[in-house]
Amino acid sequence: MNGNQIILQVEKLTKRYGDKEVLKDASFSIRKGELKILIGPSGGGKSTLLQCINFLVRPNAGRIFLDGREVLYSRKRDLYAYRQKVGMIFQDFNLFDHLTALGNVEIALVRVKKMSREEARMRASAELDRVGLKDHMEKYPAQLSGGQKQRVSIARALAMDPKVMLLDEPTSALDPELISEVLSVIRDLRANGMTMIMSTHQISFASEMADEILFMEDGIIVEAGAPKKLFARAECQRTREFFMKIAEIYGESR
Amino acid sequence: MEELFFIQGEVAPALWKGLLVSFRLIVPSALFGVVIGVFVGVLRVFGNPFVAGLANTYVALFRGFPLVVQLFIWYFGLPHIGIYFTPYGASVIAFSLCSGAYHSEYVRGALLSIKRGQMLAAQALGFSKVQMIWSVVLPQAFRRALPGCGNEIVYLIKYSSLAYMITCIELTGQGKIIASETFKYTEVFMIVGAVYLVLTSFASWGLHHLESRFRIPGFQHYGM
Repeated sequence: MNGNQIILQVEKLTKRYGDKEVLKDASFSIRKGELKILIGPSGGGKSTLLQCINFLVRPNAGRIFLDGREVLYSRKRDLYAYRQKVGMIFQDFNLFDHLTALGNVEIALVRVKKMSREEARMRASAELDRVGLKDHMEKYPAQLSGGQKQRVSIARALAMDPKVMLLDEPTSALDPELISEVLSVIRDLRANGMTMIMSTHQISFASEMADEILFMEDGIIVEAGAPKKLFARAECQRTREFFMKIAEIYGESR
Repeated sequence: MEELFFIQGEVAPALWKGLLVSFRLIVPSALFGVVIGVFVGVLRVFGNPFVAGLANTYVALFRGFPLVVQLFIWYFGLPHIGIYFTPYGASVIAFSLCSGAYHSEYVRGALLSIKRGQMLAAQALGFSKVQMIWSVVLPQAFRRALPGCGNEIVYLIKYSSLAYMITCIELTGQGKIIASETFKYTEVFMIVGAVYLVLTSFASWGLHHLESRFRIPGFQHYGM
């Protein structure tokens, strides 16, 4: 580990829908500049965990600490302030359909951060430039490809200067040839020291980039460890099976 | 020839007077109606169960009572409990509230069509619920509701003709007076009808223009 301080700490997060526990006592912490990757079968609780971290889904129990301070999410003001510091990327991009790429990045700067229009515009175009969309700023979501949309959504999150980013299967809704353009943006973020928690099925990306992989199933973090360790000799039988199967499907194992 | 003089000399000035009253009924009622409709529509979709329940009750009442009955209640009924309105005031109130109830239905439909993911994205960026509704949901819902709301305004133009029932003498009221004085029902009401046709055509044209002004990629309506 790189000895940096812990930025985000998640303590025993639990979420129930009726009798069904979709997230059970999930705990982990992440240090500055780390990339943690959540892997596991669909319906295993990865999305729920990520959405509980910024309280888009209200957990039934558990605590979250940002920079060592507990997030008191029942206070609206604290919750809104916390969410500004936690960027979120969704599988379906969720761009605002009535705004151009530039407008999408600008709007939270103006409405939430209360920046002036000019300042917001400058910041937004700088972020879009950074994700390689300089020539597409005036286009509406309906005119962009999936990969471009996802890059706009990354620029939108980055413009808020988040301390940590949550990426919920950012490439799962993309055509195969568009996946790499999004992954390369994420790679750049990692190189620039962004702290990220990401769920994905991109095994080779995970093994290459992750500081730690968390394997999740049935709402439980079954096993966690460095990619090498997890791929080579996972302790849990179920983890091994999953990695073997997914390596088969994607035709790769490293 | 005699007909022409009759129309020019007696019908036209009276109908012109009536038309001005109709205008004064339609324009504020349309504006208030849209404002009420947006407000009530938002409460019905995003309000807590109590507020949404109140809003739903309002819509049920004002969509369920015939408009003439509503006019009678505002003008003839309320004085019994000490509330008085002028014929004009009662008409604008009745039209606005009735129109608002219908608008809210179009607005509600449009609000429900906005994808939930965009609201999650707004919240994840730190938007409060009100900010989210105002800057993400409404601008999109507005575009989707526009054809329906336009339709409601066209209706309003025509049901403003009910105001003469509570002695607010607008276009139809003037027509009725002239017609019963001269017994030229056909001529007079053909003209009155034509004037409404011009008004509604003009309104449709304006609303179409508005729709194309707000048209952006992803929100087009495709004609077949």
